[in-house]
Amino acid sequence: MKFKDSLFTRRRFLNGLLGGGIATLAASLLYPIIKFVFPPYQEPDKVLLPLADYQGLAPGSVKGFAWGVKPGFIKKKADGSYLALVGVCTHLDCNVAFLPDQKKFFCACHTGWYDENGINIGGPPPHPLRTLRAVVEGENLVVKKEGVA
Amino acid sequence: MSSRNSWRDFRGWIEDRLGLDAILDFLHNKRVPQTRHTVWMYTGSAILLFFVIQVITGIVLAFYYRPTLEEANKSVARIMTDIPLGWMIRSVHFWSATFMIAIVFVHFLSIWILKSYRKPRELTWMTGVFLLVFSLAFGFTGYLLPWDDLSLSATKVGTDIPRAIPVVGAWVTKLLRGGDDVTGDTLTRFFGIHICVLPLALLFFLVFHLFLIQKLGMSLPLEAELKKEKIEEIPFWPNFVYREAVVWLVLIGALISLAVFLPPSLGKVADLMAPAPKGIKPEWYFLFLFQTLKLFPANILFITGETLAVLLIFAAVVLFFFLPFIDTRPAERRGRVIVASAYALIIYALAMSVWSLLQ
Repeated sequence: MKFKDSLFTRRRFLNGLLGGGIATLAASLLYPIIKFVFPPYQEPDKVLLPLADYQGLAPGSVKGFAWGVKPGFIKKKADGSYLALVGVCTHLDCNVAFLPDQKKFFCACHTGWYDENGINIGGPPPHPLRTLRAVVEGENLVVKKEGVA
Repeated sequence: MSSRNSWRDFRGWIEDRLGLDAILDFLHNKRVPQTRHTVWMYTGSAILLFFVIQVITGIVLAFYYRPTLEEANKSVARIMTDIPLGWMIRSVHFWSATFMIAIVFVHFLSIWILKSYRKPRELTWMTGVFLLVFSLAFGFTGYLLPWDDLSLSATKVGTDIPRAIPVVGAWVTKLLRGGDDVTGDTLTRFFGIHICVLPLALLFFLVFHLFLIQKLGMSLPLEAELKKEKIEEIPFWPNFVYREAVVWLVLIGALISLAVFLPPSLGKVADLMAPAPKGIKPEWYFLFLFQTLKLFPANILFITGETLAVLLIFAAVVLFFFLPFIDTRPAERRGRVIVASAYALIIYALAMSVWSLLQ
């Protein structure tokens, strides 16, 4: 039935109320589910490595470390400072390998190449390897995300 | 009272409550057109056969499999070496997946080329595309579960591909991985998707798909429909079902033979820190996409090659999904182009796969 001057019938109003109510309930139940399926961010802000393990590197040589769950590489530069790279290909996320004889990083997934400083030089990678900041602090070589003090 | 009478009473009791006779009558009276294209109609039930095998072998594999970083590879090794006939069950699960995907491809291509999706079967096609996507997702999630070095790299690549989709990409990758990187959480999540989410989703669309097929009947070849030819028909029961049964037995024979003589291997346990192994390749049905991704250069104009490739693949899938609505005049020029594109896809996919295998 519809009252005089009413915009819609009582049945339409009730249908809308029920439908809207169910939709609101569904949305409020969906929200915690969506929150739940995304775990908190895992990447570390910084990792501490014993300086002794890297001090002895010959200039230009490379040694691996663990950047959270990802592989990382430390390269000792000619001036004695360190370059830290995340060893994950910028194309499709495979772990790269360092080939010491060619002084290049290589990704076996789609044949991507980077030079010893992580600059993409061949194959599909669109960007250089991600760099991290490596600084000597006392006994430690500290690798930090860009922007972390 | 004879057993025959008690059986009849029992049937009567069931019939009063469920009314199944209507369904049996329907199947008794169902007829299948008999043309030179009828052979493609066997693919549907063959897919069902392999799906049922997947469900049964999958359930028993889940009795022993452990979806965690520490135990996944070990538990598969245990299935392969310790559990009686475990190697056989895993091998059948592996080969049945291969057969299922292969026949799904044949099923799709035959429907595409014969244009069986035309009115009124558009929804049958579209539910079929969902089933195709779920089947491939089964393959993709299942590939990670043994947690060896090849499966880890394949999953890193596969879950990184959605990242190239503008706006929602990074979110999708995070949802699939359960974080920013592929970790033990990804493995557990893939297991949940593989044994719970995908079976439910696939069954839902499968019921819809099968209902539509029964409701609309088998499609006739286009030329016969246009010329209004009288098509010879055979009864579904028993004539067609018996012919299908022969196909099933041959396929089961091939499945068991391959499963016995070529069981899948198990690589060494995945190491999140190790570089990707040389010669990584995805499952054979993703090879042509894998090879295509390799061909795209790093950057094209202002976007990365990867983004362009992903957008092209996405566009192709959308076109494919809406194919019945694009192919509205099947007998005319556009219709012939659409058939030619099916053949072009076959040739492209075969060429790319062979190229990838030769590398």
